[in-house]
Amino acid sequence: MTTKIKVLLIEDDKSISTFVATALDSNGHKVTTAASGKEGISLAASFCPDIILLDLGLPDIDGIEVLRQIRSWNNVPVIIISARSKEQDKVTALDMGADDYITKPFGISELMARIRTSMRHSYSRTPDRIYKAKELEINFEKRLIRLEGKEVHLTQIEYQLLTMLAENSGRVLTYSYLMSAIWGPYIDSNNQILRVNMANIRRKIEQNPAQPQYVFTEIGIGYRMLENENI
Amino acid sequence: MKIRLQKLHCLPMWKRHIHSIFISIICMSVALMVAFTYHQIMPEHSANIALIFILALTIISRYSVGYIYGFVCSVIAVIFINYLFTYPYFELNFTLSGYPITFLVMAIVTVIISTMTSHLTLQADVIAEREKQLAEAEKEKMRANLLRAISHDLRTPLTGIIGNSSLFLENKERLSSEEQADIINNIYKDSHWLLNMVENLLTITRIRGENFTINTSDEPVEEVVSEALQKLHKRYPDAVIQAKIPEEFLLLPMDAILIEQVTINLLENAIIHSTSHLPIELLVENHPDEVSFTVRDYGVGIPKEMLGNLFDGTSYSTSQSADARKGMGIGLSICKTIITAHRGTLIGQNHKNGAEFIFTLPKNK
Repeated sequence: MTTKIKVLLIEDDKSISTFVATALDSNGHKVTTAASGKEGISLAASFCPDIILLDLGLPDIDGIEVLRQIRSWNNVPVIIISARSKEQDKVTALDMGADDYITKPFGISELMARIRTSMRHSYSRTPDRIYKAKELEINFEKRLIRLEGKEVHLTQIEYQLLTMLAENSGRVLTYSYLMSAIWGPYIDSNNQILRVNMANIRRKIEQNPAQPQYVFTEIGIGYRMLENENI
Repeated sequence: MKIRLQKLHCLPMWKRHIHSIFISIICMSVALMVAFTYHQIMPEHSANIALIFILALTIISRYSVGYIYGFVCSVIAVIFINYLFTYPYFELNFTLSGYPITFLVMAIVTVIISTMTSHLTLQADVIAEREKQLAEAEKEKMRANLLRAISHDLRTPLTGIIGNSSLFLENKERLSSEEQADIINNIYKDSHWLLNMVENLLTITRIRGENFTINTSDEPVEEVVSEALQKLHKRYPDAVIQAKIPEEFLLLPMDAILIEQVTINLLENAIIHSTSHLPIELLVENHPDEVSFTVRDYGVGIPKEMLGNLFDGTSYSTSQSADARKGMGIGLSICKTIITAHRGTLIGQNHKNGAEFIFTLPKNK
């Protein structure tokens, strides 16, 4: 990314914040770090970051609470940094308006990719008209899906699901987000209907459903689609 | 009856007494009914009526606590016999010839049986206590084994990390840039190894309590398999794995994170230990009552001496060379624990050209 972006890193572990800050700095971004939730909230207001990286396990305030306070007045993209053992925390954070999450430990390339995706989704005003990745192409205007040049036929629900994932390509969408977006807010919490529809999509667009190339499962959280190359 | 007995001496005292009273009433009522019916049919054989009651008293003494129930019932039985089944009917008459003998014999029989059974119960208590201690010791041993395996497995990559980083810090000027890259690369690899170990340990915390209970929900097999493969691919980009799953959509009750970890562990073992670059197969097959997952490699196979104790967490210590990564450490024993908690099976064996591990998960009934 050529433009310099301002990153606020809220993380109490010195070693992690040093390495993330160094990595972002060497990629030409401007980084400010906060070691506590309170400091993070006040910096989010004064520093006007383009993106916030938020660790969920902070010493003073719960990370979820920090997210809630920031979201109460600001729509800046927030990427959650979380330890592996708590899927429920990630889901809560995502459903509360976090843009994405990254699991500790993570590599720099992974972090940079997440930042890039979040930045793109929150700042591109015009929605994508075409999704293309590897051999899959979706034309949103013509409602046309091609795999290796051949047209793929999906049911109405399957099409809605796939395009929703494609429009948010690179980002994880939670089960509950997809459920309420497709079936409305009053659908019960059993997500099996979603899983079945995803299985059908997989059978139509993936060569081997056990080794998918386009739509990836994040168990206990949701689905993530391969990043759109057509940007 | 054995089950009931075991249950009985586990109960608190007041419950045992309620149980004893219950047994006494039931046995006495049944005996009374049988005796009454018998008496209606054949009034002249009154000796057998005493036998029916003695049988009832035997059962009561055997399955009640202490002497008291047997004794009280024997008194009641004697009164019943006198009142109902001997001439004159419906009258108490203790002057009947031979009657004191009947009374005495019945009393002695019940007391003897009660003594014997309370001794028996005591012994059963002692045995149960001893079994509990043994189970406790076994658990303690398992815990110790696990801790030993963990510290062994943690120390190995840490040695690499500490050694390499101190080498780097102390000799930075003298190292060529390739050597430096090598060192950093080793640290990177070792810490990933360490990470996998920690993830394995974390999975243990998901299995709760002494009964190894887990939270299961219906999960699509293909999603679990695909995520496992995806995670593995990040760590071993060069490994080739051929996955084959059934065409139909399969939902299985499981803790998906745990099953994913098992799949990753087995595949990682195959990658590391097969010492072969031939593709590893992951086959999922649908059977009537269960679904089987097979991880098959085409390498050197499992050493014979390890086949017997693959899953007890000690396999690394028997034939260990200096290279600890050859050891399977705690990974397999954790797999076994996870699969057992799912009421499935896990086996490891050699086939013609390598090793294979098969685990099964039962379907929802």
